[in-house]
Amino acid sequence: MPDAATASQVPTPPPRVRRANAARAGLVVTILLLAVVTTIALDLPSAERVLRGLRNNAVPLLRGFVQPRWEIAPLAFSSMAETFFMAVIGTTIGAILAFPLSFLAAGNLLGGTRFAIPGKTVLVAIRTFPEILLAIIFVAATGPGPTAGIMAMGIHSIGFLGKIFADVIEGIDPGPNEAIRAAGGGALQVFVWSVIPQVLPEFASNVLYRFEINLRAATVLGLVGAGGIGLPLIQRLQFRRWEEVSMLLLVIIAFVIVVDALSGRIRRRLV
Amino acid sequence: MLPEPAGTPAIPERPAGQRKVAAATLATFVALFVVSAWQTGFSVGDLATGTGDFFRFFGRMVPNWGYLPRVWGPILETLQIAYLGTLFGTALALPLLFLASANTTTDRVTLAVSRSVLTVLRSIPDLLYAALLAPILAIGPLPGVVALTLFSLAVLAKLGSETVEAADPGPMEAVRATGAGRNRVIVYAVVPQVAATMTSYVLYVFEINVRASVIIGLVGAGGIGQDLLARLNFFAYGDVSTIIVVIFVLVLAIDALSVWARSKLI
Amino acid sequence: MIEFRDLEVTYPNGFKALKGIDLTIPKGQFVVIVGLSGAGKSTLIRTVNHLVPPSNGDVVIDGRSVGDAKRGELRRIRSKIGMIFQTFNLVKRSSVLRNVLAGRLGHVSPLRGLLGLFSKHDLALAHESLRRVGIAEKAWQRADALSGGQQQRVGIARALAQQPEVMLADEPVASLDPPTSHAVMSDLKRISREDGITTLVNLHFIDMAREYADRIVGMRDGVVVFDGTPAEATDQAFEDIYGRPIDVEKDLRGAA
Repeated sequence: MPDAATASQVPTPPPRVRRANAARAGLVVTILLLAVVTTIALDLPSAERVLRGLRNNAVPLLRGFVQPRWEIAPLAFSSMAETFFMAVIGTTIGAILAFPLSFLAAGNLLGGTRFAIPGKTVLVAIRTFPEILLAIIFVAATGPGPTAGIMAMGIHSIGFLGKIFADVIEGIDPGPNEAIRAAGGGALQVFVWSVIPQVLPEFASNVLYRFEINLRAATVLGLVGAGGIGLPLIQRLQFRRWEEVSMLLLVIIAFVIVVDALSGRIRRRLV
Repeated sequence: MLPEPAGTPAIPERPAGQRKVAAATLATFVALFVVSAWQTGFSVGDLATGTGDFFRFFGRMVPNWGYLPRVWGPILETLQIAYLGTLFGTALALPLLFLASANTTTDRVTLAVSRSVLTVLRSIPDLLYAALLAPILAIGPLPGVVALTLFSLAVLAKLGSETVEAADPGPMEAVRATGAGRNRVIVYAVVPQVAATMTSYVLYVFEINVRASVIIGLVGAGGIGQDLLARLNFFAYGDVSTIIVVIFVLVLAIDALSVWARSKLI
Repeated sequence: MIEFRDLEVTYPNGFKALKGIDLTIPKGQFVVIVGLSGAGKSTLIRTVNHLVPPSNGDVVIDGRSVGDAKRGELRRIRSKIGMIFQTFNLVKRSSVLRNVLAGRLGHVSPLRGLLGLFSKHDLALAHESLRRVGIAEKAWQRADALSGGQQQRVGIARALAQQPEVMLADEPVASLDPPTSHAVMSDLKRISREDGITTLVNLHFIDMAREYADRIVGMRDGVVVFDGTPAEATDQAFEDIYGRPIDVEKDLRGAA
């Protein structure tokens, strides 16, 4: 091929492309600058303090991972089991209560947008309220223990599951509805024979996904006294018993990984 | 009405196998629920009393608006923590997600190791990271940033690797055929395909991080959560209410912003 | 010059795609490979740039073995071989120009390639390649905004930008309508002639093979069953390539 450099000009980008490139470059610069400014503005501890903290705490923590304290394994398992049960009930309550709410919040079924807007607002409000704050309030109101955690998770799950259920309902195929009505079915039949079969698998899959998240959340709720493995965890954290902390962590990680794997397998078969 | 044709076979029953599976599943769930309730001491009655107690308690908490000016500094710190956590988490997630995707990694060992690391990192929720790091790295925003970095890294790398593995392999083959090495194949053939989706995920993670950053202070990781804890310990419920309202509005605003921004990307 | 020396390819699942191929292709020849799907055409073409490794035997280009080449050597070899695909394999969301510049990746340093820092020479080459296939004005459009025929031309431009000595085309026109197919094939032939590029093209269609090829190679079940000029490729010969079992004695290679 003849030397292209002489045969052809170097192409110049049209203004549209140049503007897009400039905007992208500007964005990157802004992000980096913001990062630098933010880091400097933060009230960070001195490097010496950090290193000391790492040496005194991180080292025993890591050591505890390699040589776990098996003595507290029974405690770890039983409290993680309690965490698991909390998540089961919390998710179940959330799912059961979210079910009717979601139908109200979905714009395409009963009553249309009349219920949808307030319905969605309620759901958003519930979701936005941080779960751990709910837990703190319940601990203060009904006393410490797994019940407070279950209530917090249940209510929070209503918000999340309600929104997702509503989205699923709004996304169903209206065809089968029409077919049943054409065959003479009333609203109830449409509901049972068209809507439910379409949304159930998706609902179930989301409930399982929510359970995965709730299991993790439940480990944390105990930190504020709402039951589960969080309580023994916070105690040992406060006393800096790092080797025991790692044992608890190992149990948490193992549980979560197993539950995730099982849940994932079931969800794949569902949808 | 048409007469019943002679010799009509009976409507076949649902196969026995399917019925058994459905029944077994239902039975398992019920059993699980019952065991859980028994083990945790929960009863359905608690639902009613719990809700009642909740509203009674909540009703007593009237916001003390005088506290409002003292909220802005910590809120700013909260946003800074969320921002840095997302940024560092994204930066670390980018190499990891390519290492954990089957179609962009060269050898099985790297793939297995990165996926395992990811699985472990993902099993710990953000608040738990914060609770663990606070005693180690000194109370303040640092453990918050590190905790959110770890959490964002895990979530983004998982979402990202799923997207990368679903990318069209055709352009990858074409770029490889020109003699480019693996990294350049990724940059030219994979990145353009996944960039928009990845950006959407980053915004989603930022949203989650803001939700987390408002409360990690409860365990000592900086932000408005610490003020919340302090006010709680002083039983200053009026101030607590104010903080809760501000948190509520902030999360709502960031949620809306994130949804809007993500819709612009698709 | 490309030599296939007793080339065999067996896929991991046990399927023998190529069962002993011996061919010599002189420089600059425009070869069309015909055969049914599964005959081994795609596999054969991909052994030339090692996208498929040989299980036995070798491919030798200008005296250098492809099968034995190590990574660096392989990339160098690939950088001189341009390839176009049935599904075009363009990066849809990238601009046409960026797609063509990907062809320069084998020729610039890894760092420059990574950062997208192409020299004026690279840019001019890319532009020239686009001009030669007639779509220079589309340089800045997104690749998926173009029609099928135009997208394939981008693919050709990308291959051209490599300043290749060999061009491989795997069913380049199977997704295009007949007039567009002919336009693309004649572009390919013209460029191959102008630059003296050895070209291997997989095609389904007999008439296109006859119209454009210097030489036709027919494959069936992993072996070469025909090798000759378009004049020698009678309908009888094509029947043998596509369907009826042939006697080993009546091997048509070269003979009338």
